[in-house]
Amino acid sequence: MKKKMFLFGFLALSLLLLAGKGLVVHVLRSNLLSRPDFLSASVSPLQKGNRLELLETQGSWLLVRSANGVKGYVHQTAVSESKVTLGSIAPGQKGASQDELALAAKGFDEANEKKLRGSKGYNFSDLGWVMDQDVASPALAGFIRDGRLK
Amino acid sequence: MKKLIPIALCALLISWAPPVNLSKISKAKKGVKLIAGAAHKINEEEEYHIGRAVAANILGQYPLWKNGKLTGYVNLVGRALVLKSQRPEIYGGYHFAVLDTPEANAFSAPGGIIFLTRGIVSMATDEDELAAVLAHEIQHIVAKDPLKAIQSQRLKALGTFTAGEAVGSGSGALGIFQDSVMDISGTLLQKGYSRSQEKDADLGALKLLAAAGYDSQALLDMLEKIKAVEKKKIKAFSAHPSAAKRIDYVAGGIGSADKNGRQIRDARFEQLAPDR
Repeated sequence: MKKKMFLFGFLALSLLLLAGKGLVVHVLRSNLLSRPDFLSASVSPLQKGNRLELLETQGSWLLVRSANGVKGYVHQTAVSESKVTLGSIAPGQKGASQDELALAAKGFDEANEKKLRGSKGYNFSDLGWVMDQDVASPALAGFIRDGRLK
Repeated sequence: MKKLIPIALCALLISWAPPVNLSKISKAKKGVKLIAGAAHKINEEEEYHIGRAVAANILGQYPLWKNGKLTGYVNLVGRALVLKSQRPEIYGGYHFAVLDTPEANAFSAPGGIIFLTRGIVSMATDEDELAAVLAHEIQHIVAKDPLKAIQSQRLKALGTFTAGEAVGSGSGALGIFQDSVMDISGTLLQKGYSRSQEKDADLGALKLLAAAGYDSQALLDMLEKIKAVEKKKIKAFSAHPSAAKRIDYVAGGIGSADKNGRQIRDARFEQLAPDR
């Protein structure tokens, strides 16, 4: 009996270790890409807190599977290791826990940034214009190609 | 039961295989930690929020040049470089803008908000020279140099607060936030980074330019122009080491480049940045 229990425990532990490593998106927005190339097609948008399962590493790129089962590539600078794997997430639950999202921010956070709005010496109005300037991926791809860049 | 033993052994062997994926990530993170130095406790989101406040502070001191065409072009050049940098993904993404001042300068706020002045854009005579200035600033973001300007005592003080104290009414936390913004703004606009930080940013910029397909000679060309301006005692890159000193080490790091490509880009520079 003891032998059987040991073997079951051994098997369970082994299968647990085999489970995909968990990652969590730590940037506000990114994309799951079809190839390990920023200019490749997006197969799914990613948001901060999305959980991913690491399948393979290719240099700085990670082949991952999203909670919806979509496979694609993400750059390693967009994600952190998560202590929780996809297997332990209930269906439909994609976001990180409140504990994880309640970052260790102690003062450098949105609440204190908002308190500065309207303060003398700060121009958040023009900052909004700066942050709204965006570059679409196809435009960037054309710019790189036309300029004989890499 | 005996059938399960080989399965269990195989599973265990596989699970004990070298952790290729995560070990690489861990190494990368250790690298960042070493580079980041005193800033290692500030996470991506915190960097973003303090960066926004620093950028708003810079915009409180310099007028923004809301030239959509030129700003769009500068963002294309900057983003083309960012893709080849060691930190292509950042919490809120990279943003580039032009300040409406004749002073020749460039600043990078934490979190990837990079400002060029109208003066430095006017000084550049082609896209590769503009890229050289941006590459230098991007390297400061990669190395998290702006965060290193925060006095360590402020980070230590923040560490003593509970989350409630920091986010709630905590005037102490807000005070530290504001003081940290001033530390960074003061370094960007007046004090400047250390010589070693500037040298690393220049040498990193040479590699970044080459990786993106730009001519790294453009950084040297730009420094020669800044040197000429400095000789006339005109205010240029006041928070940077003298161009003459930077030229000494930059000259040794120039790689080969596609000169035809530089000419092609020059044509669109004239077209896209006409009223600079």
